[in-house]
Amino acid sequence: MNKLRTGIEGLDNITDGGIPMYSLNIISGAPGSGKTIFIQNIIFNSAKRGLKTLYLTTISESQFKMVRHLQEFDFFSDDFLGNNFVYCDLGATLRRDGAQNALNYLNSMIRQHKPDLLVIDSFKAIRDIFSDEKIFRAFVFELATALSIWEVTVFLVGEYEEKDVTLLSEFAIADGIFHLYGQEERRFQKRFLRILKMRGTNFEQGEHLFQITSEGIKIFPRMKPEGKELAYKVATSDKKEFGITGLDEMLDGGLKEGTVTLISGGTGSGKTLFGLKFLLEGAKKGEKGLFISFEEPVDQLIENADELGWDLNKYITNGLLDIRFYSPIELDIDKHGFDILNVIKDERIDRIVIDSISSFETSVANLEKYKDYLWALTQNIKRQRTTALFTVLNESLFSPVVITKAQISLISDNIIVLRYVEDTSKVKKVLGVLKARGANHDKDLREYEITSNGINILGKLDKADILK
Amino acid sequence: MSTPAEEKISRYESLLQEMWTTSAQYLGAFSVKLLVERVAWEISQDYKEMELLYFDENGISCAEIANAVKINPDIPIDDMFMKFISKYVEILARLLGYEQTNKIASKLKEEFPDFPIDPKEE
Repeated sequence: MNKLRTGIEGLDNITDGGIPMYSLNIISGAPGSGKTIFIQNIIFNSAKRGLKTLYLTTISESQFKMVRHLQEFDFFSDDFLGNNFVYCDLGATLRRDGAQNALNYLNSMIRQHKPDLLVIDSFKAIRDIFSDEKIFRAFVFELATALSIWEVTVFLVGEYEEKDVTLLSEFAIADGIFHLYGQEERRFQKRFLRILKMRGTNFEQGEHLFQITSEGIKIFPRMKPEGKELAYKVATSDKKEFGITGLDEMLDGGLKEGTVTLISGGTGSGKTLFGLKFLLEGAKKGEKGLFISFEEPVDQLIENADELGWDLNKYITNGLLDIRFYSPIELDIDKHGFDILNVIKDERIDRIVIDSISSFETSVANLEKYKDYLWALTQNIKRQRTTALFTVLNESLFSPVVITKAQISLISDNIIVLRYVEDTSKVKKVLGVLKARGANHDKDLREYEITSNGINILGKLDKADILK
Repeated sequence: MSTPAEEKISRYESLLQEMWTTSAQYLGAFSVKLLVERVAWEISQDYKEMELLYFDENGISCAEIANAVKINPDIPIDDMFMKFISKYVEILARLLGYEQTNKIASKLKEEFPDFPIDPKEE
């Protein structure tokens, strides 16, 4: 089936390559939800590929205002106006001749301009002119059939609510329904798009975040966990070492490539430093590393590493190490996960550390959404064959293992636990490998210290009851 | 006794009626009427006599074209109808898909083997 490539970042992905040609689509949403910009972005992108649009306004937004607002966007080009982009006023015809004559008017306009795309904005305004639902339904049917015969891809824009989809006849006739809406989520006013229907093509269901920037619409496809993706193979050959004598031995040579490791520990236990060392060791071997920090800014991390004799700047300069700080207060989880995956893919990241997923967790209002999100992120990281290390804060300093509320431990391949123990009036740091998938890992708890020489793994803990 | 031109038009009319009937099984009479309307309009841009083609929900008639040919025998009947048929099949293939259109074309070819009714695969 031929598709109309919208050219909107993310939209062609979630529609499996574009919107089916000659389909009739409804773009619904409350005033201010971004409907007009959404369709205008599609139209101007299409115009660049030589497609012509007939844009019929009713009584929604005056054309001069629309053109004035559109100038703010990069996709706008007045070169197309009057040629590949023809504005007409359907509202006057409707008011003068009534709705029944609108079809004749449309027919004549199509014959005159031979458009590839046709937009009626707002279609809801036409509905409001009809007093009888049956007559309106017949009108919509005739409209849809007539337009498809002329091989026109149609977009009807309207101020509909989601509940209208099940009630109003135009939605039954539509091939595609794009519903745009806003939502307050903790600190953000966010915009979402859902495809409620799309005949003749696969599409990604669910809620997709979108943003309106000066470049136009950008969609961040929903990250979704896929059950089938859980069946994966762990590379048996390539081990990713920490470069910490003792720890790599405990892990039977290191972390296996493409696995996800949780490193859980209380505050001050050194989780961040273990993460940095993991990337540093990779960089020494020419592997690209990405450190996502939600807790400490980049300069502070570099400084902390420097105190242990680790020169991060050297690898940042040569492109083998990338450290990015995101404030968890301003974190938008929908956008962030998408960005991380793009970086991993585009920059071919071998090792990634997220410090910490606990901060990630606190920034999300909806724990279920976070859980889905983390699962999806993990699966996608595995799919890229990137070796990941997530740090997790254990709020109870002396307690045994606490992993995460979201049970991410279920899909992690390896779990390293850092904790404090009290031993003859001294607080010691100990480390244990709880799980290392497919490896004959050390089951002992080992003391460790962090000094100006780095991280040193010391002897085995001799108290068997320490985890009780 | 009918003239060769009248016989020719009668044969084209039979073909168009068969196209109408067969397409209506897939699209319904309403859509077929709209499709014929579009094709007739497009062809009439080059051949004015195509405006004389009569059609409604019940079918298609070339009687008015036949009358016009009596007055003006120079009307390029073959070119006009062949372009109509070719355009109709071309649009149908885009709207309905090549496979379904090919099925329609095959049925028509059984009765009208001498007409080129083959849809082009895009």
